[in-house]
Amino acid sequence: MQAPDPIETILARLMPPALSENGQLEIDEMIDDLAGPQVASISSGPSLARWMIGGGIAAVAAGLLAALPLLETVSKDPTVAAHKMPVGMVLLSESDRIESMTDEGWQESADGSAMHALRVSAVEENSVRDEESGMVVQISEPREEIFLTPISAF
Amino acid sequence: MDSPANAWKQWLAENGPRLLLFARGWSNSRQDAEDLVQEAILRMWHHQEDKGNSPPDLPLVFSTIRFCGLNHHRSESRRRKREESVIYLNDFQDVWLDPVLEEDEEAVILRDAVQNLSQKLREVVVMKFWGGLTFLQISETLAISPNTAASRYRYALEQLGHELRRIKEDRHASA
Repeated sequence: MQAPDPIETILARLMPPALSENGQLEIDEMIDDLAGPQVASISSGPSLARWMIGGGIAAVAAGLLAALPLLETVSKDPTVAAHKMPVGMVLLSESDRIESMTDEGWQESADGSAMHALRVSAVEENSVRDEESGMVVQISEPREEIFLTPISAF
Repeated sequence: MDSPANAWKQWLAENGPRLLLFARGWSNSRQDAEDLVQEAILRMWHHQEDKGNSPPDLPLVFSTIRFCGLNHHRSESRRRKREESVIYLNDFQDVWLDPVLEEDEEAVILRDAVQNLSQKLREVVVMKFWGGLTFLQISETLAISPNTAASRYRYALEQLGHELRRIKEDRHASA
């Protein structure tokens, strides 16, 4: 077995500190919130009435999906975002999930400086609940972005 | 069987420090780094919903923290341009790593040296040493080759060794 580098031996005497008590608590609470009520599935039952409600919800969801690009930025705070929902609809959660990241290498910016490009495929997902029926619909919106960061060291 | 929430909390208790350390490289303060970790965990939760809600693999979380950090970096740059008159003060107690032993001069020197490494070297050192990732996992996280990851790690150790010797010599000379 290879002997550890002397620097590694010293590094082993350094430990990353734990999250602060407050930070840990906030994340734990967030996990509890996320793990809360299970999302109902529209196709979970054979009832005709449920299908009809589901159809109505889907129509509302499609409308919301069409309206979403009009909103410049949806707040990450569901309580704030809920105010933008139509009456009777509550935004339960929103997320921005990364599907993939691809290193695009170096690119030249307009002013000639070198930039590092990273292509990111992400999916924004919103969970919306109809207050009356209690049903939950998920709306997904995939997109692609390129991040450019200046290269200062070679 | 454990609930997903309990499994995630246990996973966080085990991995929180190494995620926080990695996030420090993408943020200005400990508080910002904790926010970054929280954001990454939120994203990971939704990502894992299709996978039985099990806690995620570490390389993926490092990638996500990096992505969130890039996003914050963009908005931070814009904010700084708006607030050019504001002076940012360092919090000298706000350190990234804690020495295990008291009065460990070498460890304290290296702690500062790690913080001052260039971002691309520091990321590899943090993921390899405190994150426990293999060079292959690091290469996938950073979209570089495993050889490049290993080279950066070796180069970072050389730089840290050089810095350690330099500071010790300076202190010895001035003593």
